[in-house]
Order: sequence, then structure tokens, then C-alpha cells
Amino acid sequence: MSRIGLLLGKDLRILRRSPALVLALVAYPIAIAALVALVARFATDRPRVAFVDEDNLPQTLVVGGQSFDVDAVLRQVEQEVDLIPLSAEEADRRLASGDVVAEIIVPSGFASRLRGMAQSPTLILRTSRGGLSGRVERQTEALVFNLNRLLQKAYIQANLDYVELLKHGGTGTFLGNQFTVLGLARAGEILDRILGSTQDPSVAAEARNLREFIDDAQLALDQTGASLRATANPIVLRTEDEARRTQLLSTQLQAYALALTLAILCILVAAAGIALERDENVIGRLARGLVRLTELVVAKIGLAALLAVAFGLGLAIVFAGALTISGENGQPWGRLPLLALGLLLAGAAFGAFGTLLGVLAREARTASLVALLVAVPIVLLGFLPEVSVAPAAWVSRAFPFSHSVTFFQSSLYDFDPWSAVARQAAWLAALTVVFGAGARLGVRRLLT
Amino acid sequence: MTGVDGAHLDAGVGRSRALLRARGVMRRFGRRTALEPTELDVFGGETLALIGPNGAGKSTLLGILAGALIPTDGSVAVDDGLRVGWVPQRPAFYGRLTPRENVELFARLERLDERAEADRLLAALAVPDVRNPASTLSGGNQQRLNLAVALLGRPDVLLLDEPTAALDPGRRQALWDIAGQVRGRGGAVVFVTQNLEELERAADRVVVLLDGRVVFDGSHEAWASSPEADVFA
Repeated sequence: MSRIGLLLGKDLRILRRSPALVLALVAYPIAIAALVALVARFATDRPRVAFVDEDNLPQTLVVGGQSFDVDAVLRQVEQEVDLIPLSAEEADRRLASGDVVAEIIVPSGFASRLRGMAQSPTLILRTSRGGLSGRVERQTEALVFNLNRLLQKAYIQANLDYVELLKHGGTGTFLGNQFTVLGLARAGEILDRILGSTQDPSVAAEARNLREFIDDAQLALDQTGASLRATANPIVLRTEDEARRTQLLSTQLQAYALALTLAILCILVAAAGIALERDENVIGRLARGLVRLTELVVAKIGLAALLAVAFGLGLAIVFAGALTISGENGQPWGRLPLLALGLLLAGAAFGAFGTLLGVLAREARTASLVALLVAVPIVLLGFLPEVSVAPAAWVSRAFPFSHSVTFFQSSLYDFDPWSAVARQAAWLAALTVVFGAGARLGVRRLLT
Repeated sequence: MTGVDGAHLDAGVGRSRALLRARGVMRRFGRRTALEPTELDVFGGETLALIGPNGAGKSTLLGILAGALIPTDGSVAVDDGLRVGWVPQRPAFYGRLTPRENVELFARLERLDERAEADRLLAALAVPDVRNPASTLSGGNQQRLNLAVALLGRPDVLLLDEPTAALDPGRRQALWDIAGQVRGRGGAVVFVTQNLEELERAADRVVVLLDGRVVFDGSHEAWASSPEADVFA
């Protein structure tokens, strides 16, 4: 067996003798991954938004003959944002202090305009500057869209009632004024009677023209209902509920969980492993021609890569099991070899970085602490979306985390993963070489 | 003869051939110079004691001779095929491996028959062949394991850094018996000590270090009659 193999075997044997440590090394990043996922999912999920009701909205609002439960509408909104009823002054103060990220203001006269159905009432949204304001704006737009969707039914029904009035006649109201309409059907009957009784050919001709118009108008008005609905909804969205992955088992979460686990596990093990050679006073013995320092660095990188493959594949299988149990779309088993390659490359890159940290820290305890302190912000940088925080993404590219995430996602789920996988593999290999070279340069520091 | 300005030098020690040749070796740790540029030859058949106060550079020089410490400047020449065993002051083995696993691992790294070497050395040095991690051994047993690893492959030169500190009298005698065997084969023993009784008993050549510089290099007899001897007495 090669000297690197002997060192690797030794490290694996030592790890095997520390099951509690191994368990902690694996469980800790998984727990962190789960927490980060939950925080990302829920922490900013319901931003605090002030709700200023200057119109004293009633519990029930009748629009176009249809009743709307205002409380139910607000409850629906509260699934998206945390609505806090406040006075206008208090809301302004809290918006200025950042306690709420936005104000939704219902101005005076809102309900009466809505009931009148002649003019569109206005809702006012005030937002602060900052990361969540855009999101609140979108959520408020969604709220207005949903309200409009509910109201448009009432508006359409009210318009159809007017059409029915035109067709059949009767009594109606508009802007509070009552009126009576003859209706096309009764007008037609009157014309028929005129046609049957008149001797004047010119009257009969005009009556026939009118009769044709009434028939055409009735035909056209019969289509009004469908036409109004089509105008209100040029495109109808149909929601189909089928067995697909929940967010908790999403491909994105799987890739992030894998990368996060490897980041912490591999950086910690490599950093502590190389520093332990000095703590045990063994590095001097090894350096006496038994092992080249390059081989020592390569052995630590190899250890991290091996652990990455073993634990990464284990996690992938556990994830697949969770998918199967939950009855959702399964793991693409055919892609596991490609994933294994990604795990190997990612583990090596994280391991090289960890080895560099261990060499700089020199002592195993310090190295472990430094590894954890450095690994966490690197991971968090990788979580930031590039479109939102570009500098963070640039910094993140200098570390293996974001490349690992992209590799894992592409290798498992892209229809045509090869170009993305090749690009990320090149990144990971390059980072391994750079960090590994740094570790090799610094490893002499351990010989004291 | 090697020496430094103002040092008492003596060429009377029986010389055969230089097994180790340190030329201008020096070592700095940060801004501190632990060892000034030093010349030292270690000859076959001799037992050389490195002495001096704490921080004089004894362990640094021994580590450089062993190849365990890279000198900031200078070099150490070793005859081709010469085996050098090194026993550092602080045990150098893997605490989570058993004593046998440690010996076998280092034997394999030295391309030796690991099982035969482990059987031979564990028995010869009475290191407990247990399944417990080496870190759980007593201080004396750890030092013996440390020595066992150094004796892999029957070294021609044995470098010992305060080797008897944790050993009982019986084990000290066994250690000097082993050192005698190395010397008897034409090899050399270099040891760091603070123990003047041990120095008197085992050393036939004495090198004194002070503030990182060699201030005396000569026979034990010359050392005993030198004014420096009174300082260290």
C-alpha cells in the first residue's frame, strides 16, 4: 500500500474509534442544513405589515348583491404577511423605525366606492427601503389581484343583471336611483303586435327593421355572460394537484443539504486531522523521510474526499427513502455515479481548504474552532442569491460551496447536465489545487 | 574537531567516520534564534551527550539531526542507507491507535516487516501489547513505545531527547544496553540530558550549548576538568 494509503487507513481507523465524534460531525451539519432550510422557508415568510383601516370596514361588505366576509379576506392575507392593525400615526412611526416593512392603508370612502361599482376604490401601500419591501409589494399586489378576482364575480353578476333587465325588462337601481326598463322581449312583442295590425307599408317596414334589431340584440346579449367573463379572465389558470415534491424535499434543498454537510464535515476533519499530526508530535517522525509533506497534505485531502463520498451517498439514499415514503417523485438512481464524482471533487476541495486552515491554525483544537468559524460564513455566502447580492456571489465563487451546490443539482436533475457539471468540476479541481498548494507551502509550519 | 569561538575543544575522542555531518545548521522560530549556525559531526562508535540549560537549543539541534525539524539554514548530511532512530522528548505516536498498531504503521512506512518488527520490539522493550489506545498507557510505557518506534529497522544512529526521564531504573538500564548495542555495531548515540550522573555514566563526548551556540565540544574527561563543568554542576 502506498504511504498515502497507509496514512488514510490510519485516519479512517482513528475516526472509526471515535463514533461519537463521527456522529456529531455528520449530525451537526445535517441539523444546521435543516435549520437553515426552515429559517429560509419561514423566517421572512410573514413580514410585519401595518394595516390602517381609515374607512372602518364592516365585517361584511355587500357588493353587487354579493356578500364579502372582510375578516376572511384579511385572514387570507395573513397567510402571507403578519398584518398589524394600527392607527395611521402609529403605522407611520413604525414604518420609519423599521418595525414594520410596509403599511396597507384603506382610505376613507373605500367601501362606499366599492359598493357603488362605478369607480375603482384605491388601496395605498407604503413600503420602506430594504430587502423585504419588494417582496411585500409583490404580496400586496397578489392580495389586490385576489380581491379583484373575488370582486369581479360580483361586478360581472351586477352587469349581467343589467343585461337581463335589458333583455326582459323590469325595475333596477343605479347609483341609488331606481328605474324601470321595458326590455327587448316586451319591445319585440309590441312590435309583433304593430306588424300584425298596421296597414301602413312604411310603418310595417320600420317595424320589421326594429324587430330584426331586437332579435340581433337578443342574440348578442345572450353571449354577454361568457364574453364578460372572458374579458375579466383572458387567461384562466387551472391548478392541478398531483404528487410532486414538497419544498421540504425539493431538489434545491437536497443539493444545499449535501453541500452544507460536506462543507462542515470535510473542512473540520481535514483541519483537525493535519493539526493533530503536530499535536501528537508525529509529524516530525513522518517528515524524517517516511512521508513527504506533499503526501501528508494529499492524504488529508483524500480523507475528506472519501468521507464526502461515503456520507454524501448515504445522505442521498436517506433522501431517496424519504421521497419514497412520502410517495413523491423518486431519486434519479442512474445519476448517482455522477453525484459520487461531484461528492469526491467537492470533498477534495473542502478538504484542501480545511487542510490549509489546519496548517495555519497548527493546533487541533484551534483548527477545529477556526474551521467551524470559517465554514459557516462561507456556507451562508453561498445561500445568498446572485441576483440579489452580487458581491457575495463573487466571494462565494472563491470557495467550493456554491460550485458544489450547482454540481449536485445539475448532476441529479438537469436534463442535460454535462456542461454545468464540467464547469463546476473544473472549478472544484482548481480550488483543490490552489488550497492544496497553500497547505503544502504552510505545512512546514507544523514542524516545530 | 568541531568548535565555536572560545569553546573548549578536544579532538581526543576516538574518531572512526562521521555518520552525521551538520553544516551551518541554524534555526529561527519567528524572530527568536533557537540555534546559531552550528557545525557538528557525529562519529561511529561514540556516545555524544548534548547538554545545556533550558532553551539552549539542544532539542532543536537533535531535531535537525533527526530530520524532524527543517533548519532555517544549513544542512545535515547522512550516509546513504544509514538508519537514524529518533526518540523525541515528548512521545511521538498516535494516541488513538494501540501500541502494536503504532509500531506496525511506522514499520510499514519504513517498508519493514511490520509483524516481525512489532513482535520483536514490543517484547524487547516490554511494551504492553494491549488493545487499548496508546494514550492510555502509563508515562513509562509511552516512553518505551516511543523508543520502540525509534528502534524500527535497527538504526545505526540513535538520537535520544531526555530518554530516561519517565523510566524506572530497570528500564533505564535496558535503554543503555540498547544504546550500547547500537554503538557496538559501529553506530552512534546522541542524547540530550540534564542528568549529570547519566552524562558521566554514558557519554564519551560532550557538546555544550548555551543560547543556541556550541560552547564546548570534547571528551567527557576534558569536559569534567573544564570551567564550564562547574557552571553546570
